[in-house]
Amino acid sequence: MIKLIAKIVSLIALMVLIVPSLLFFSGRMELDQVKWIMLIATIIWFVAASLWMWDNEPKTQDDK
Amino acid sequence: MTTQQKHSTEDTENTGKVYEYEREPVPKSALLGFKSFVGMYAGEHCAGTELMIGPLFVAAGVSAYDVVVGLIVGNALAVLSWIFLCAPIATRMRLTLYYQLEKICGRKLVTLYNLANGVMFCFLAGAMITVSATAVGVWFKFKMPGLNDLYPNSAGWVLAVLVVGGLIAVVAAYGYQTVAKFANIASPWMVLVFLAFGFVGLRQFIDVTGQEVNSLGGLWDLAKTQIWKGGAPQEGQVKFTFWHVTFFAWFCNMAMHVGMSDLSVFRFARKSWYAVASAAGMYVGHFMAWLCASILYAYQLHLDPSDTNVLPGPLAYRAAGLVGLVCVIIAGWTTANPTIYRAGLAFQAIVPKTSRFTVTLITGGIATIAGMFPAIAMKLLGFVALYGMLLMPMGAVVFVDFWLLRKFGLQSYYAELSKKTFNWAAGIAWLGTLGICFYLVKYAGIQIFFVSLPGWFIAAVLYILASKIYQKKFRPQAMVQQENKS
Repeated sequence: MIKLIAKIVSLIALMVLIVPSLLFFSGRMELDQVKWIMLIATIIWFVAASLWMWDNEPKTQDDK
Repeated sequence: MTTQQKHSTEDTENTGKVYEYEREPVPKSALLGFKSFVGMYAGEHCAGTELMIGPLFVAAGVSAYDVVVGLIVGNALAVLSWIFLCAPIATRMRLTLYYQLEKICGRKLVTLYNLANGVMFCFLAGAMITVSATAVGVWFKFKMPGLNDLYPNSAGWVLAVLVVGGLIAVVAAYGYQTVAKFANIASPWMVLVFLAFGFVGLRQFIDVTGQEVNSLGGLWDLAKTQIWKGGAPQEGQVKFTFWHVTFFAWFCNMAMHVGMSDLSVFRFARKSWYAVASAAGMYVGHFMAWLCASILYAYQLHLDPSDTNVLPGPLAYRAAGLVGLVCVIIAGWTTANPTIYRAGLAFQAIVPKTSRFTVTLITGGIATIAGMFPAIAMKLLGFVALYGMLLMPMGAVVFVDFWLLRKFGLQSYYAELSKKTFNWAAGIAWLGTLGICFYLVKYAGIQIFFVSLPGWFIAAVLYILASKIYQKKFRPQAMVQQENKS
């Protein structure tokens, strides 16, 4: 269950990481805001992704 | 991280010994699915060096059409090389490149090949350490090297490289697997940070030029007139045309596809077409990441045409702040780590009695010293082309040995059959090709970016001709007995 939540949170973090730069590109956000949001998304990504990616074993025959 | 490394490190940590089917075909139970290769290639080819290569294209005076279309075509050729040259042999034999080469060339020649490979890996890792160290410069504000600097130009720079490279070397020696796991986690994040560099850079260009961009056509106009303007290259740089970009994109991983290094990767693939997964690496890392990084440098030049320094740290910091700096450090660190490890493996094959810890530490030390010299990073385009050229002839030898030699009435795997430790036919093909390529570059005016294409055919022909003479002169006992029987 924790891993599932961590997966969802980390995926949201990735979206939050890229969306501000898109908003900046379209002229709807300031660059300083973009940098702060990217920093927060980065921290969340590394914490959440570590919870489910750290112990991932190399895929073998199950990966079909 | 490559699939091969995943297998090796898993066993390394548990037993202290590498066991990755090094001297036997990969069994069916260990084969991997398509998805594994997509993830591996997408991650591996979005690295610290991309932050140098993209800007160096701009410094080389490339135009928008040449860089965009050249990268599309060149990357497609690279993917086709993996699909049609490397993967079919890998999935038929399921052996590592080193074991396959040992059967063809003999142990002593493979040792020489390992030495060349290890040295080039050291320099490549050095360039990655250089990239990471430029991020340190943003914090500590010491003088950093310029585009045409060959030697370290400040005590602060030397100290930064020493600290960054030293840390990378110690971590690679102690905890390779930990960094490899961290690299896996960082990989998707890094791809998106590169993409963010591109979006931010484009907007900055729109704001500073006041150009209207309401459609793809407007974006293309901005690209042509402001970002990749073409014209003369920066001082000391080679002018890049469509052909330069195409051949660079095709051959920058030449050691892996044409050079057959990735036999060791695709021996785990169920089908040879899985090599199409390399497109993920090419179009994410060698298209998107290069273009995004080059936008940041073009913006710097637009603001101050005299600021020609290619320093990924300051470039990334301007676009994404602290996240940009972290990205530069992680991109350099996570890719230098396996590179130092691979170089260590290559050297350890030469001195097998030395512990892997010691070898990796020494290798990291050499890479750190190399990283202090900005010449490698600043001349990365030429260095990468040289790296591919150096290992390419052995790829031609493997290809000819597997597909063609028997059609000429000759024996494949001749070193294994004849128990020779140095197959002179392969040695002549390798060293002879390098000599001819060197001559073509030095005296015939062919640039290093292009010479590997004729070089491959030269190596193939040399190997067949030399094998004709060599196999006639040294007949293996097993062959003689078989001929007598028949």
